[in-house]
Amino acid sequence: MNIAVLSCIHGNLEALEAVLRKIDQQPVDQIYCLGDLVGYGPYPNEVVARIRELDIPTCQGCWDEDIVEGLNACECSYPSLLAETRGRQAHEWTNREVTPETRDYLAELPLTLQQSNLCFVHGSPHSQHEYLLPDTSAFIAMERVLATGADTLFCGHTHIPYVRNLENSQLTLNIVHPAPHPPTHSPTPLPSLKRIINAGSVGEPRHGRPNATYIVYNTDTQQAELREVEYDYTQTCAAILEKGLPAIFAWRLSKGLEYAEKADDPTHVCER
Amino acid sequence: MLTVVAGPCGAGKTTWILQELAQMPTPAVYATPGVGPVPIDATRVAARFPQVEIFQRQPETELLQRLAAGVPVYFELGFQLETDIAFLEGRPHRRIALVAEENRDAGWQLWADEVIRGNQSTLNLQAAQVWRAPLSGQVFDPPSLDTFWQELIQGAYGKVHRAKGIFELAEGQAFHLDFVNSLPGSAYTELNLPRWVQGRPNRFSGIEVVGQELDEGAIAATLKDCYLSDSLLTAHQATLKDSVPLEVV
Repeated sequence: MNIAVLSCIHGNLEALEAVLRKIDQQPVDQIYCLGDLVGYGPYPNEVVARIRELDIPTCQGCWDEDIVEGLNACECSYPSLLAETRGRQAHEWTNREVTPETRDYLAELPLTLQQSNLCFVHGSPHSQHEYLLPDTSAFIAMERVLATGADTLFCGHTHIPYVRNLENSQLTLNIVHPAPHPPTHSPTPLPSLKRIINAGSVGEPRHGRPNATYIVYNTDTQQAELREVEYDYTQTCAAILEKGLPAIFAWRLSKGLEYAEKADDPTHVCER
Repeated sequence: MLTVVAGPCGAGKTTWILQELAQMPTPAVYATPGVGPVPIDATRVAARFPQVEIFQRQPETELLQRLAAGVPVYFELGFQLETDIAFLEGRPHRRIALVAEENRDAGWQLWADEVIRGNQSTLNLQAAQVWRAPLSGQVFDPPSLDTFWQELIQGAYGKVHRAKGIFELAEGQAFHLDFVNSLPGSAYTELNLPRWVQGRPNRFSGIEVVGQELDEGAIAATLKDCYLSDSLLTAHQATLKDSVPLEVV
């Protein structure tokens, strides 16, 4: 069975349509979406409508939550004052733009999706706002996968796609007994392979090109294929300007930079 | 000895003067006309060589006194070749031009006593736009400044040939940022100045951008989004006092 995993569309309808066309050319059995349907981009309602129309199982991203829960539900995640200002501008614009129907849909999205030994989240199983980066410590990465009970964890949020194998790992539990007994170290043998697969971003890439990325995964062979799709990003840039979003968002999209945030803090966990 | 240094935009005039000053055991004078309230190069020279006397608005007579006393004077010109500077008329001086091979036209060759290899400049003088802004008193959030600077030099606000500035950072240091589009990357140099950890810095900082089709309003607005507010600055400086021994200004 082939599945396609999309993430971080961010209101970029042209990028989403390009990915869907690509999927039509190389069909899959099921599409999953890891959230962040809205935020920064010019077509939040249209993206949500398209996802709903295709009945794509979707989990809630941090931007989806922010639109439901209120401004800057996780302001601590911004790495700079400038990013925070731009994030606030994007939030306020999106908040005005989304319809009640879109907001209701985003509110009801689950935080986690599970299919047999596969788990789908936006950031991590702990929070939509937590970054699982390629160099997040092996211990943390393994703990996050184990927390789901799955073998393969699909995530997004970082906007940088990657596949990380956690091979032959062991999670060591330190059990502290009351004195006088010394601490006992109890290594727990684990299955030899766990994986984290990050789908990158459809609508707000951060890999130096404006192209959309998504993942195709074969559940039988466990092969993951990263696909990069070119599209006419200038249409999105024009819409950003036409709809009154900050012009710098159009420039950053054209350069393959995120609109505002840089997901460069692997230790960030929202303590809201 | 009066040495007049000229060259195209970003050729390396101030850098050459700094190299000269580094080899000079005696006091010297650095003068640069026409930069108004944004003396970035003069501030850079003063921070590197505190013993060098900086001339910006002093009367010509004082400069003449230094020359009469035998103090070496470095006179840095702007990036347009100027041949009719009244102060230089009738005064013996050495003319140095910093020019890349690609920019060596007859004008520079005729003007200079000595042509030294400089950085290439692709600036179209007819279309050139110069935007300067004093930033004194403003303190920057470092990651915001980095984002702004990368956007600026990569063309988010128009085509930039040259950008330089002195910026005060949250930790109290002042940094010189320097970009020339014919060179790879930017140079980031901490100025040899005391860290300013009490209130807003009462010393010069500012920015100069040379390019084409610059969106000056967007540059200014983005810079503003990088400033620390009074409350953030106060809170940050309070944590600095608690953490490390500093040379307090």
